[in-house]
Amino acid sequence: MGESDADLIKRAQLRDLDAFCVLAERYARRIHLLASHYCQNPQDAEDLSQEVWLKAYQGLQTFRFDSSFYTWLRRITINTFLNHRRSNFFRRRGHTTVVQLLQIDSDDSGELVGSSSASPENIYNKLLFESVVNALAELTPSQRLAFLLRHYEGMSYEEIANAMNCSTGTVKKGVWRTIVKLRARLSPAAETPEPLTDLASEY
Amino acid sequence: MHNCREVKERLIEMVLDGVDCAAELDECVDCRTEFAALNATLRMTRRLSEDTSDDKYWSGYHERLRQKLFMSEESSHAKAQRREEGAKKNRASDLRLLFAPLRLCVRTAVRVPVPLVVLTILAFAALSMFAVRAARRPTTPSQVIVHVPVEVPVVQEKVVTRVVYRERRVSTRKSPDAEIPASLNGFKPTDDVKLVVIKGGTPYEK
Repeated sequence: MGESDADLIKRAQLRDLDAFCVLAERYARRIHLLASHYCQNPQDAEDLSQEVWLKAYQGLQTFRFDSSFYTWLRRITINTFLNHRRSNFFRRRGHTTVVQLLQIDSDDSGELVGSSSASPENIYNKLLFESVVNALAELTPSQRLAFLLRHYEGMSYEEIANAMNCSTGTVKKGVWRTIVKLRARLSPAAETPEPLTDLASEY
Repeated sequence: MHNCREVKERLIEMVLDGVDCAAELDECVDCRTEFAALNATLRMTRRLSEDTSDDKYWSGYHERLRQKLFMSEESSHAKAQRREEGAKKNRASDLRLLFAPLRLCVRTAVRVPVPLVVLTILAFAALSMFAVRAARRPTTPSQVIVHVPVEVPVVQEKVVTRVVYRERRVSTRKSPDAEIPASLNGFKPTDDVKLVVIKGGTPYEK
């Protein structure tokens, strides 16, 4: 059984880099998942998620144990994402391809043959991921973030609105539009215009 | 009465929150299909919530993160060091500025024999010691004026005035020698008599 979050945080607050890295290893995947859905480029996603960790490390002295570490970290994540929305952080938009994703997982493309990352299920997941990311890319960053927080983080509309400094209606609208967009992209009959799409534009 | 529009407006909530809406959906095939499609969409996206990157990627990720954190720590240390050095330089320059007039005096001063300088310094020290002692001597407290009321006896003056009226006799023209009594010979009566009694006053008082 590893050290508790509280102990690691206390050690990290005394500038113990190893303790902070252990904390990062615990939560990095969740933060990276949000970043990879938010950005359209895996390299951007990694940079963004690592920037979250840098900010967390620099601001760890301000953590007062009022909330859980992940809640505090998620707040930093949202602010970092929203700040990058305003900057020219993202290098390329809509360029995620399966080939790129495979290259990230493996340094040598020759290793793909017979490796676990080249299994049909993995390739299917990567194609699916590409579709989802491309669908999300058509939305505004706020709508995208609202959906990610609602769907993957299970936050309530009120919590998202509070974190993103906008109204609950705006959050609901963003989530609605995202789901409709995803449904149009991912459903087998994606070519036919959906009644829900029309409804979403009115919503 | 089933209203497709209303149900479709609530479909997302139903899917996201897992609200039981079987009764409503049973009434309409379109709504049921829509609900199933949305459900499938979200189920598919939920599959992506599990990270598919392999351990190799993550070990590299953590190594890169560690390097970034280390570099940021280093740069913050370097920044702090630079700030400290800057502050030291500022302090030194402040001191130099403080002693600049003194140095100017030393540079531009006329050459004076050393004994004279020593004597001057000693005299200045003695004078300053005297000045300090004088300043330390206890001073007399300043005079305080106190007002005390004093009772002074007041000379009481009493003036008694008495008026005596005397009946005037109308003299008949007789022989002046016959009627006048012997005791009042030579007495000339006045119209009134004023008696003033002064008690405790000076003779010059009115």
